[in-house]
This record gives sequence, structure tokens and C-alpha cells, in this order.
Amino acid sequence: MTIPTFIFKNALRNKRRALLSVSSVAASLFLLVTLQVALRELTQPMESAGAELRVAVRSKISIANFLPARQRSIIESMPGVEAVSPFTWFGGEYKNEGAMSFAQFAVEPKAMRRVFVEAKMHEGAWDALEREKNGCILGQITADKYHLQEGDRFSLNSTIFPGALEFKVVGIYHGTPDDRNMFFRHDYLDDSIGYPGLVGMWWLKVKSADDMPRVIDAINKTFANTSAEVRAESERAFALSFVSMFGNIKTLVASISSVVVFTLVLVTASTMSMAIRERFRELAILKALGFRRRELFAFILAESFGLSAAGAVIGIGAAYCAYTYGNINQMTHGIFVTFEVTPRIIGYSALVAAVLGIVSAIAPSLAVARMSVVNGLKTLD
Amino acid sequence: MALPLTYNFRNVIVRWRATLATVLGIALVVAVFVLVQALATGLEKSAMNTGDPRNVMIVRKGSTAESSSQVSLQQFQTIRYWPQIARDENNQPLVSADVVALISQPRLDGKGEANVSVRGLTPMGRFLRPQVKLVSGRWFVPGKREVSVSTKMAQRFSNFQIGSRFKTAANWLTVAGEFDGGNSAFDSEVWMDADEARTIFDRERYSSLLVRAASPPAALEIAARIDADKRLPLRADSEVEYYAKQTATAMPIKILGNFLATAMSIGAVFAAMNTMYASVGSRTREIGTLRVLGFRRRTILASFIIEGALLAAIGGVLGCLLALPMHGVSTGTMSFNTFSETVFQFRITPWLAAKGIIFAIVVGIVGSLLPAIRASRLPVIAALKSV
Repeated sequence: MTIPTFIFKNALRNKRRALLSVSSVAASLFLLVTLQVALRELTQPMESAGAELRVAVRSKISIANFLPARQRSIIESMPGVEAVSPFTWFGGEYKNEGAMSFAQFAVEPKAMRRVFVEAKMHEGAWDALEREKNGCILGQITADKYHLQEGDRFSLNSTIFPGALEFKVVGIYHGTPDDRNMFFRHDYLDDSIGYPGLVGMWWLKVKSADDMPRVIDAINKTFANTSAEVRAESERAFALSFVSMFGNIKTLVASISSVVVFTLVLVTASTMSMAIRERFRELAILKALGFRRRELFAFILAESFGLSAAGAVIGIGAAYCAYTYGNINQMTHGIFVTFEVTPRIIGYSALVAAVLGIVSAIAPSLAVARMSVVNGLKTLD
Repeated sequence: MALPLTYNFRNVIVRWRATLATVLGIALVVAVFVLVQALATGLEKSAMNTGDPRNVMIVRKGSTAESSSQVSLQQFQTIRYWPQIARDENNQPLVSADVVALISQPRLDGKGEANVSVRGLTPMGRFLRPQVKLVSGRWFVPGKREVSVSTKMAQRFSNFQIGSRFKTAANWLTVAGEFDGGNSAFDSEVWMDADEARTIFDRERYSSLLVRAASPPAALEIAARIDADKRLPLRADSEVEYYAKQTATAMPIKILGNFLATAMSIGAVFAAMNTMYASVGSRTREIGTLRVLGFRRRTILASFIIEGALLAAIGGVLGCLLALPMHGVSTGTMSFNTFSETVFQFRITPWLAAKGIIFAIVVGIVGSLLPAIRASRLPVIAALKSV
């Protein structure tokens, strides 16, 4: 019998316990991966292709305040700016769902097709939007959810503006991190509310990455000390500003993760001690046969390490499969869209499992080290 | 024959080392479950604390938040003198027209900015919300560009201490005093004069009206009258109901809590099973002795399940105790309704603690079921022979 088979047989001599230990490690690591992914989604907004050339301009008071439409021509004439589109949150509810399930924005199609470059659509969808005043472009996920196809009509009740608007689908896009949004014409919105000359935000594209800081600076300075001061920032910085709004939720998820890890260590360490205590007599015999302490440590360590590694493979693997192949958008009712299990998270969880394997071997190893052979042989259970 | 419960009970105490890890494991699971649910409860409580049953809230039809609602001056004048509205001793109608705006402000911990709700109130507004009390400084004085902030917001944002100034919409505002909102939604607000707010934020209209109905039937009449009048695109709700609807933010937290409880309890069930199996294994001889003494199989089954449940119940109580220090601690996040920072407290209600303990007992019973079956099936002779 070789030493690896000895360890292997020992680990599996009580199959039920091995199975239960592996399962409890697996369940906890599954949870740990889930929490880490959720935390990442909350703290690191999705990065869209084309984001590095885009700037978001909002009112300095807060994102909920409107900006005057006249700012557009001023921004457009700045050097380095390629296209500027208004970007107004419509806050529409589909039929009478009672809650918003996707975001809708009023935009200007001519500018938008140059700003929103990553959306993949059939040729001519933007042209159709330019032709049809009540047209709209819909994300694939939303279109699938409501079984909407090109040419279909539907209406939305706005929670921001008075009344409802009817739209006709002229294009369905995909290829962005969040294919749920809807875009329609700003002049259609203006028509329905009587041209108040206001927009929610400006969304613009700069000609090159070098132009970005200059354009941001110019926009902020131009409107400083006017009646509508603005904050221009890169799309990335804008997305990050939402993270800060979530406040203490981040801390909450992080502390739950640490409790999970702690519970995991506690339970696994106790199981491991149980397994060793049961065969104290055998270990005493091994000692009597001349095995050294460090060899006995190696047996114990290899066994506990092996069990937690098996749990890690199952738990992390299950999480990876569930979130990569499952429809997370449906599972979380639209709170999370991508839920990507990154290599970094896999690595972190595997590290936790490795540390777990080592830590749970400590207490039994100490007990074995302290045991005298005679006492060990006397032990009954 | 009666259950050998004393035997099980003494076992738990005698073999405390083996059971301690299981008890602690379950305690931590219960603590997490209770804390996350306490957050959701806290959010709902803060909404429930807000309304006054005598008040009626009037907003634009279709708007879900006051900040996106509009009530014109003309509509305000129309409704103001309706006979269904209560009057004060000077015969003035108890109506407040409010302006709600969001401003972006830096957090105290320096980690970015968040939206804050600013409420502009007309003089009657404070009278209609008696749960809001000044705790230090003084109330804002109209025309002096002053605000009063809730103490809880002052603890979260860097410009909200008494005497500090902050700039918004090209105006400098000074914090004149702090108020306590009595754990209501007003704890998440900054208050100032309504007409001053309209000037600063360039609002032609008010956001909402809050009126005190002369009597409960009068409240229904106000709602019916607004509904019937085609010139008023508004909707009236009792203030209590209006805020009760503002609990959508609690939903994702509840989902998170349930998910965590499920996933963690699966792990805990496995761990409990492990402990119980080990404890049944090491007590084989004792179980054989019990059988010889005449205890029946099903008695032994029941007693082991009860032992598991007892262990778990201890864990459950311990978990609640672990969670208890967080009771009343304030925390905050962005509300999906108002799109601004909402402050609320962890609320551990007796019912919630009971749910946590029941949950622990279920975990204990599920975890000890299989080991108990095994214990009850041990053949007597073999059990007695084992060392």
C-alpha cells in the first residue's frame, strides 16, 4: 500500500462523513462565490465597448434635475466633440405592471447612432428611427420578455411626464452589456409635453481619447456660474457614481461573506477533529511503528486538504455553471444582468478553500503531536 | 415508555465540545438570516412610521415619487379652501404645498456622493408632521437661505453639520438646525422653505400637497372629488397608504435574505448531520442499553430528533443574541422609489426572532432525522457488543 492510497482510503473510510463534509464545504463556497459576484456587480459597473470615448453630462444639482436644451449647440461646437445626444429618462411602466422593468431614454437618432456605437442592429434601424417619429429601438432582452418584434406597437405610462406614449418597434439591438434599454425620439416626447425645452442629460462622444479630459473640462467651465451648472464626467466615472449611492449595502454583503467564511472554517475544523479523534488509536499505532510526527501531520493535512478541495471543485463549479449558463436576469427579477464569475473570484474562493484545508488540520495535528503512544493506544473511541 | 429526554439533555451538556461547533454554526446562520430580514423590516417600519392617518397626500396622477410629481399653483389654490379640509384656530386651512428636489452631496466618509431629498415646506407643513421634532439649533427661517437637516443625515453627509454651508443650484445654503424624524421617512430629508426651494431649483410648480382632512369621511370625499374633477390630473391617497406603497426597496433585500438563508441552511444541515451521526456512532452502546431497558425504536427516534432540535434551538437563541446588538443601528442605501439616500434602522422584532429560532429548529430536525433513524435501527446485540 502506497502512502497516497493510505490517505485516500482513510479519507473515504467513513463515506457518509466524507460526503457530508464535502457537501457542506461545497454549499458554503457556492454561497461565497455568489456573494463575491454580487459585490463585484454592485461595485464595478459594467464596461461597455465605446465607453472610453463617451462623456455623460448631468445637472450639477443632481441627476434628477433637468438641463436646458439650448446647451446642445454650445457643446456641439466645442473642439473634439463628435456628436451630442440628449438622454432623458422616461420612467415608463409597461402596461400596468406597477413597476419599471426596463429603462427608456429619449434621444436624438442622428447623434445617437454615432454615440451608441456598440449596439448591433440590422442596417437601416437608425434610418427607420429617423423616419418614424413614434419609432423606438429596443434591447433584445426586453423584446424577448414581452414577445415584441419589429413593427409591433405598445404604449408606456410615464411616471415622470404626464400621460402615456405609444411606440412602434423599428429595431432590436444586442451586443451591449445590458441589452434591456429602449431608445426613442426626443422630439416625440417634446411633442407630447409641449416643448418645455428641457432634457435629462447629455450623452456625447469625443473624437479621440486624448480629447476627453479637455472636453470634460471645457463643458464644466462653460456652464459654471450659469443658471444650469453641469457636471461632465467620463462614462466610467458616471457609472461609478451610482456605486456610491448604494451606500451601506456594500458593507453588508462584504460582512456576510466574512461570516460565511468563518462558519465554514468552524464547521469543517470540527468535522476534521471528529474524524481524527475516531482513529486516535490507529495514529498511536503508526507512531509506535516509527512514523514521525511530520509524517502524521502530512496524513492529516492531505486528508483535510483533499476534502476541502473536493468541496471547492463542486461548489465553485456549480456556481460557475449556474451563473454562466443560467438566466440570471430572470432569476433575480432584473436586479442583476451579467453576474459574471470572473477568474479572480474563482481564484479567491479556491484560496479560501485551501486555507480552510490547512486551518482545519491544525487542531487535530496538535492533538496528535501531544499524544503519548501509550495513552493513544488506550483510547477507546 | 416515556421519552428518555433527560438522557438526551444530559448528553448535550456532557459532550459539549462536539456539539459546540454545530451550535455555533447554526447560530451564525440564524444571525445572518435575522440581520438581513431586520433590514427589510426596518425599511418597511420607516415607511409605516411616516403617515398620519388624518392626512391626505395629493400628487400628480401616474407619478410614483414626490420628486417627479407636479401640482400647479392654481391647483393648490383650487383645493386649498375645500370645506373637507380641517382648519386651525385662526381658521386657516391645514394644507402644505411641498417641493421635493434631489441634490447630490458628498458623503461624510469621503466615498463619493449620493442624492439627498430636499423638501421645501410651506408654514403649515411642519404642523402636519408632528412626529418631526427639532433636537438642536433652530428651524430654517424663510428668506435666509437656511435648511434644517435630520440628525441621521447629518451623520452621513459632510456638509450637514449645524453652521456648515453647501452650494447647490448656484446658491449657498446654511444648516440652521437638526431635527429627529422619529424613525420615519423624514429622517432621510433636508427641510427648507417651499417658496425658497421653488426659486432655487427653478420650479414653477409644487411637488405635492399634504392636507389634514376634517374627518375620516371627509378624506374619502377629497379623494372622490379630485378623481371626479377632470381639470385636476391629480390623485389623493391617505398619507399612510402613500408611504406604505414606498417599500419596493425592501424587495431585493428580502430576496437576498431568503437566498442566503436557503444556501447557508443547506450547509448547516450537512454540518448538523455530521455531528449527529458522529454522536450516534459514539453512543452505540448506550443506545443498545436503552433498547435493552425497554425503550422502543420510535421512542429512540423521537428522542434523537428532539436532541437535534434542542441543539439547533440553542443555536437559534444564540444567533438572535448575536444579532441583537445591531438592533436600532442606522444604515442607508438608495431607495428605488425616491432615487435618493434612505436611512433606516435594523429592526429585530419578536416575531422575527421567533422566525429565526423556528428556522434553526427546522434545520436541526432535518439534520438529525437520518442519524436518528440510524440510531433507532441499531440491532440490540450488535450495539451492546461494540466498543
